[in-house]
Amino acid sequence: MSAVMEDPGARVAEPSAHRASFASLLRSEAHRFRSRRFIQLLMLLAVVGWVVATVIGLLNYGTPDDGDLADAQARLDQIVAEQQIYHEQCLEDSNIPEGTSPEEWCGPAPTADNFGGPEQFLDKAPFDFGEAGPDGALGVAALAAALAIAMGATWIGAEWSSRTIVALLFWVPRRLQVMAAKLTVLIGAAALFGVLTQAAWLATAGIWEATVGSPDPLPEEFWSTLLQTQARAVLLVVLAAVLAFGLTNVVRNTGAALGIAFVYTAIVENILRALRPHWEPWLLTRNALALVQDGGYTIVYWNDGPIGPDGQPPEYYLGPLQAGVYLGAVALVLAAVGALLFAKRDLH
Amino acid sequence: MPAVQLTAVSKSYRRRGRPPQKALDDLDLLVESGGVHGFLGPNGSGKTTTIRVLLGLVSADPGGGEIRLLDQPVPRGLPDVIGSVGALVETPLFFPGFSGRLNLQLLAEAAGVSHARVEECLELVDLSGRADDRFKGYSLGMKQRLGIAAALLKAPRLLILDEPSNGLDPAGIRDVRELIRRLGRDGHTTVLLSSHLLAEIQQVCDSVSILARGRCVASGPVGEVLASRGSGDVLVQIADPTAAAGVLQQAGFSVSPADGALMVHSVATPSDITRVLAGSGLYLEELRRVTPDLESAFLAITGDQPHDGPAAAGTPA
Repeated sequence: MSAVMEDPGARVAEPSAHRASFASLLRSEAHRFRSRRFIQLLMLLAVVGWVVATVIGLLNYGTPDDGDLADAQARLDQIVAEQQIYHEQCLEDSNIPEGTSPEEWCGPAPTADNFGGPEQFLDKAPFDFGEAGPDGALGVAALAAALAIAMGATWIGAEWSSRTIVALLFWVPRRLQVMAAKLTVLIGAAALFGVLTQAAWLATAGIWEATVGSPDPLPEEFWSTLLQTQARAVLLVVLAAVLAFGLTNVVRNTGAALGIAFVYTAIVENILRALRPHWEPWLLTRNALALVQDGGYTIVYWNDGPIGPDGQPPEYYLGPLQAGVYLGAVALVLAAVGALLFAKRDLH
Repeated sequence: MPAVQLTAVSKSYRRRGRPPQKALDDLDLLVESGGVHGFLGPNGSGKTTTIRVLLGLVSADPGGGEIRLLDQPVPRGLPDVIGSVGALVETPLFFPGFSGRLNLQLLAEAAGVSHARVEECLELVDLSGRADDRFKGYSLGMKQRLGIAAALLKAPRLLILDEPSNGLDPAGIRDVRELIRRLGRDGHTTVLLSSHLLAEIQQVCDSVSILARGRCVASGPVGEVLASRGSGDVLVQIADPTAAAGVLQQAGFSVSPADGALMVHSVATPSDITRVLAGSGLYLEELRRVTPDLESAFLAITGDQPHDGPAAAGTPA
């Protein structure tokens, strides 16, 4: 520290009161967020994943020529012929139960329509944006939500592991303000991430459509359906990030929080589905699916009686609104519990 | 206006299956503005807990006690004065993956401190050359210096330093002490220096408070605290110590040999020694009142304190 000795008195500034505003705290937290290597690594991985997925799509989709269609037709004809042979063998089978006709036992004779037409047998089918658009948005939402969970958990978990959040209180003693700033930055970043991932899906689909796309026109209300799905996907990404943030803030450890999340999704939910099927509307992953999927999600209680008058098992319809409200409430409660504990506890 | 004022402040830590651990016990502490005030105490005496209470990190037990920082009540008024308070509490807390400069910039941005001030503080602690290195690659001393730089960023009116010399090499320790002295003399800054290094406190501080078992057991200017613990011993250098010892003992003094000299104990008026010896034709070469150093005073004050005091059983103090 020779500077002190060589130049005594030169740089000890006169005291001046500095006061942190919420805006300056937000700017600082946003800077902290984008400076974090883990976040930068996540973004890099997302970009690499996007490029790889786009290239794989380009290699696997294609515009068939007459020769490809003829090959597909030949493959279909061969399979239909094989299935018809099996069907005839079935009709002549001596083990058909008494009182059951061979037609009832073996079903109708197979035709080409049963196999979806020759398009299903093309090595490289064209990309059908009209069919794949909403499903692709759903898949991208699932991946983005998984990354958002990691983002939300490490955002606050790293603060606890390094205890920098305690040091920040030497500057901003209002603890709820600190927590609100961190949460605001996370929500903004997660929303931006969700929008970017959905934009990336549109870009990928656009590239595929332009190069290896189907000539069929898009269905009616396609864009309305797709954009609504994507908007809900962005909401899911934000909720996933807030959930992970809240859980990690409660347990104050990224690893523990991610462990709890894994055990819940991989074990607890499966056990509940098996043992308590009627609890399924409360499971987080079911609600996540219902939130994003066009038309929500219908839970069918296959093992439940009695079968209804229409011969169908009882069902429970989980709509996107209900799922969104439920997930939002869970995220809010976790975030609030974490923030209140932070506000009340002694910090060392 | 006192920079720090605690009146009857208590703090107990709850412990599972055991009675609460009392870290602060009706603590009274007054630090006047200006100068360097030492905060001394054995491990677990409550020094760090006191600092944490002052900074609002730990809440004092409810009821009775009053805490004021720069004349504002804590924790209610803390947001109004925190901009004038710089602190380094125990280990510096920074993001290990960020550079030293970025760590400071983030704090500066949060409080509206200019980036130019960041550079000034980095230079002040001689870290400019390593400011772009990651914090996790810093040595213990460099980490400590970055912590001091962070505490200085706000150019605070009150600077709270908890063991700032930890991990520093001798040159670093000397420079930090010089910096603290300078800050204490600038007329604007009050430094509250918590340290277990008695020599550091004695060299640097104008006043001192000594804590033991969560209570302030002595406080005041360093000289006064030392004098109050003086033994009244006087060292006598004389050509014939054996003869002088006999004369003094006959006159009622308690005398013991001390490396070729004499130690006369519990002397109220040292001039009595001169008078008695001169009356017997013995003339002094040196007569010196033995002033205790801070270590002696500290041990005298806290001598019955175990070094693993109230918070040693795992409870932060």
